[in-house]
Amino acid sequence: MSMHPPHSSAIPDPAYDAETRQLEQTWASPPGFFAWFTHVNQTNIGMRFIVTGFVFFLLGVILALLMRWQLAVPENTVMGPELYNQIFSMHGITMMFLFAIPVMEGVAVYIIPLMLGTRDMTFPRLNAFGYWIYLIAGIMMYIALFLNIAPDAGWFSYPPLAGAAFSPGLGLDFYTTVITFMEISALVAAIELIATIFKCKVPGMSLNRMPIFVWSILVMSFMIVFALPPLVIASLMLALDRMAGMQFFTAASGDPVLWQHLFWFFGHPEVYIIFIPALGMISSIIITFTQRPIFGYIPIVLSIVSIGFIGFGLWVHHMFTAGLPQLGANFFTASSAMIAIPSGVQIFCWIATLWGSKPRMDTPMLYVMGFFLIFIIGGLSGVMVASVPFDMQAHDTYFVVAHFHYVLVGGALFPLIGGVHYWYPKFTGRMMSERLGKWTFWVTFIGFNLTFFPMHQLGLQGMPRRVYTYIDGLGWNQLNLFVSLSAVILALGFVMTLLNALISLKRGKSAGDNPWNADTLEWATSSPPPSYNFRHIRIVDSRYPLWSGTGGLEQNAVVHGIRSDRREILLTSILESHPEARQPLPGPSPWPFWLAVAVALTFAGMMLHLAIPLIGFLLCFAAITGWIWPRSGRAAA
Amino acid sequence: MSVAHKTTPRTPHDIDVSQLPDYSFESRSPLWWGIVGLMTVEGTVVATLIASFFYLQGNHAVWPPSGTTPPDLMLPILSTFVLMLSMVPVYLTDRAFKRGNAKPLATLPILSIALALVFLGIKAYEYALHVDFRWDSHAYGSMVWLMIGFHSTHVIAVILKTLVVIILARQGYFTPDKRIAVTVNGLYWYFVAAAWIPLFMTIYLGSRIWNE
Ligand code: HEM
Ligand SMILES: [Cu+2]
Repeated sequence: MSMHPPHSSAIPDPAYDAETRQLEQTWASPPGFFAWFTHVNQTNIGMRFIVTGFVFFLLGVILALLMRWQLAVPENTVMGPELYNQIFSMHGITMMFLFAIPVMEGVAVYIIPLMLGTRDMTFPRLNAFGYWIYLIAGIMMYIALFLNIAPDAGWFSYPPLAGAAFSPGLGLDFYTTVITFMEISALVAAIELIATIFKCKVPGMSLNRMPIFVWSILVMSFMIVFALPPLVIASLMLALDRMAGMQFFTAASGDPVLWQHLFWFFGHPEVYIIFIPALGMISSIIITFTQRPIFGYIPIVLSIVSIGFIGFGLWVHHMFTAGLPQLGANFFTASSAMIAIPSGVQIFCWIATLWGSKPRMDTPMLYVMGFFLIFIIGGLSGVMVASVPFDMQAHDTYFVVAHFHYVLVGGALFPLIGGVHYWYPKFTGRMMSERLGKWTFWVTFIGFNLTFFPMHQLGLQGMPRRVYTYIDGLGWNQLNLFVSLSAVILALGFVMTLLNALISLKRGKSAGDNPWNADTLEWATSSPPPSYNFRHIRIVDSRYPLWSGTGGLEQNAVVHGIRSDRREILLTSILESHPEARQPLPGPSPWPFWLAVAVALTFAGMMLHLAIPLIGFLLCFAAITGWIWPRSGRAAA
Repeated sequence: MSVAHKTTPRTPHDIDVSQLPDYSFESRSPLWWGIVGLMTVEGTVVATLIASFFYLQGNHAVWPPSGTTPPDLMLPILSTFVLMLSMVPVYLTDRAFKRGNAKPLATLPILSIALALVFLGIKAYEYALHVDFRWDSHAYGSMVWLMIGFHSTHVIAVILKTLVVIILARQGYFTPDKRIAVTVNGLYWYFVAAAWIPLFMTIYLGSRIWNE
């Protein structure tokens, strides 16, 4: 791989020192414990999302290990059914709600403004608000678990089991109220990402020059906007069923299947909400590690967009066993198969890009390769469960558990870990250890397959999911023990990644601005980026701005006149990215935090008394007023 | 790496944006996109509610369940009319402001708020005294009360928001370059009013067509 001499924007530039200092002062996040609650810069908030997301991931892994401990031998007594139910439910809830979506958003919030060449996002305080909502929601769920009153009806909590009659305790009240307000976090982040991508591209970055990762985040955000509201309202309805005696999902008057429809109208797209950013990461990594423009930019963009659309047509395939009309089931089988087309187009374009290049096989690229293998297996078993007759047999067995872990871990987690290795130097200014990274990859990859591949077999042998134990003599003993031991290897792999990240913080090689010689703008500033992201905003003239011309971006024209004595960004037109206006941005503020507290109180307060939401509503309004109230004549956003 | 001073561009290709306005209107403004996003989210919620209503209706031989009469039409038609009317002062304020006249901002929206309060009053009267089902009577009652509750909360929210706009306007906050905040508040008002139409049709007409 050819390397340009690393150029650093940290080189002092006498003519500009005064303005650099001014920028630093303007964009600084104030120090101190209490000030920490007021930070709004996108790099701060994005990093908090990422770190918090991985903390929840580790908690989810610990729960998985506890499950596997219990299931290692027949009739084990590590835990009883009540606790096991809480633990598998919390494992699913943690992984899907507290880890996967927030962490993808976190990467987006951190990276997107940098990729677009702008200094922050359009609504910095909204960003912070989303984070606080998420943090409060996650903490509440884990408090419930430690009090032994966590939800225990699975991550999708089907009524009537999840209704008041069969789940009387507080557990599902936590689920319904927390899910209802927690999704506000994803929704505000999505709206903000859309607005930022539309309005803040650096001049010259027309829509057809936007990096593929940005496209994938745009599609993810649109999916969130349409997929999450039904979940929010459905969990509110379930909460009201439970607490106010309402009858949406009761067997007496309502319909439990309505919950399934509403839940999967969200739940199926959710898989794509996680998967699509992962696709974007893969494209970024492949471009950088082959040092080539991507083959088929337009087909890839189109297939990402069409996956976004098709993703909404498939929800019923989770409900084949719920007894739906035959024609409906056939339709959903057909559209489940259709998703293979755009996925195939992308894989074809990636292979064409890789073909004949000598990709640099560093850790991020290894995880991409791991993704290919795992995802192909997950896709095959997916084709199997997408056919109604087979699904009837495999449904609710470990075959399905194996299938969705292949899809989720292979399709989202592997690219994500690859992405973390890829952007780590940008986040921290240091490289992760390559040697440890390669070892870790193999431990994780092998551990993963040893854990989940045998689950297919267990499922075919009839072992149901969500059982806290099984009796001796069914022929499942050996495989279960094997799976449990392999899960330890897999978890070891994750822990090694964590250690690598922690150790490299201090010990890693210094990274410089652009250690991989990548093509996108986040690599055109120092690592980690300064609080104002870019000292000079430079016009771009190609899809691969850092690779164009002879000297890369440094030769490009500069945008002058964006103020540095207040937080300000440039707004450009959606399609062509012509400069249109400057936009002053608000600075640090405590109100996002207080609003998040008020929102949490409004919804979680339902658990205590149905009048608390009324008080909460007024508190929310007070916080919003504090938020938008102008200070020193500044506009609010 | 030498860079020219900000007022004297180094290359002819450098651009200077200091003359661009530091405000923007309508689809050029991020705030506008933000509110469109919010309306899309809430519109999806409304669509989900309506879909659930008809889904549950499909499960029932009679809807509303026997023993329940669908709510009367007189009051809701009147209140719908009032709510639609409340958009007019909002529209006039916005139009005046677009033409550079910020004065109505401090007064005219009060009329809208008054109309919205009348709307809420009629709703409260209707549901306190004039319907013969509760939210926990059956699925039909749950759906209707949820839709009403959802929508009324939004009416209250937009009233409160508009109050803040009026107070700020009285303090002379709204110079012409800050117009987008007013536009966006107006958009949200239209949205809350318009969202009532499909809800109205679902609750009052959807309850009738089935059983004729
Ligand atoms: C160390 C890695 C992991 C292990 C060992 C593991 C293990 C398991 C097991 C054994 C179950 C089935 C429990 C049962 O049915 O009784 C399960 C369920 C589940 N897992 Fe994982 N898992 C891991 C990682 C993940 C990840 C990364 C995700 C998502 C991104 C995930 C999402 C889920 C979901 C959604 C369920 C279903 C929960 C439910 O039935 O409600 N898991 N996991
Ligand atoms: Cu699905």
